[in-house]
Amino acid sequence: VTTTLAPPSSRAATANHTGSPVTRVLGLTVAVGLVLLVPLGLWWSPADQTQGDAVRIMYVHVPSAVTAYLAFGVTALGSAMYLWRKSPFWDLLAGASAEIGVVFTALTLVTGMLWGRPTWGTYWEWDPRLTTTALLLVLFLGYLAVRSTSGERRVRARRAAVAGLAAFVDVPLVHYSVEWWRSLHQGPTITRLDPTIDGLMLFTLMTGIVVFTGLYAWLLVHRFRVQHLEEELAERGLAEAITERRREAEVDA
Amino acid sequence: MDDAVFVLSAWGVTAAAIALYALRVLGRGRRLSRRVPEERRRWM
Repeated sequence: VTTTLAPPSSRAATANHTGSPVTRVLGLTVAVGLVLLVPLGLWWSPADQTQGDAVRIMYVHVPSAVTAYLAFGVTALGSAMYLWRKSPFWDLLAGASAEIGVVFTALTLVTGMLWGRPTWGTYWEWDPRLTTTALLLVLFLGYLAVRSTSGERRVRARRAAVAGLAAFVDVPLVHYSVEWWRSLHQGPTITRLDPTIDGLMLFTLMTGIVVFTGLYAWLLVHRFRVQHLEEELAERGLAEAITERRREAEVDA
Repeated sequence: MDDAVFVLSAWGVTAAAIALYALRVLGRGRRLSRRVPEERRRWM
């Protein structure tokens, strides 16, 4: 274990929650950003020439997708680091990030379907981008299922790390699917060197991405701490069970 | 606003999902914090 416990005397350690001064400042900043994003995305930014107001879905759809990529990237990093260093810190980080990634991937799919209906005339097509994104959701649900299996912690963490790295292979497939195969989904807009998007639209989109990234960081810290508490309780329960079993054995003898 | 149903649904689903998930994580953290000794509650 490479991390250290907070001193018992610290204020944060005595609180009955997973918050801390840093998460409170970050949470407040994210909340302000989200409040600002609503009028920017729904009223102040212009409608698109061809898509009309349906383009406003982009301000939640694209940030959700970017956040999902980021979350799964952190899961892959945590998984690789766990296999290398064998520190539970990296395992907990990978697991916490994957769960958040699953939430944002589901949101990417749902908002994408709601965007597809007015622009393509259909909620769903077995298009390369949509199919690989749905596969990404299934793969990381599988990853979370591996994490929830019972058994020895180190074995489970190693299996989860391998599953996390394997599932991450789909992320570049999702991203480049619109370039590698014929796709109904539009190609990259903001990753080009000369973005063709309107200035205020680009500002709104970038605001959404920054705010969602902050939201991801806030959720990650809380989810990590919850996962740590779950591990502590599981270890405590195991220790109590062993003590109880020994006591029973002594009585029998 | 054109396609208001789709636009507002997308924003509404996003807001609801994020709020529910955040509340679930915070609530679980509060419940578990009470059951874990103070000196072992925090790790980063």
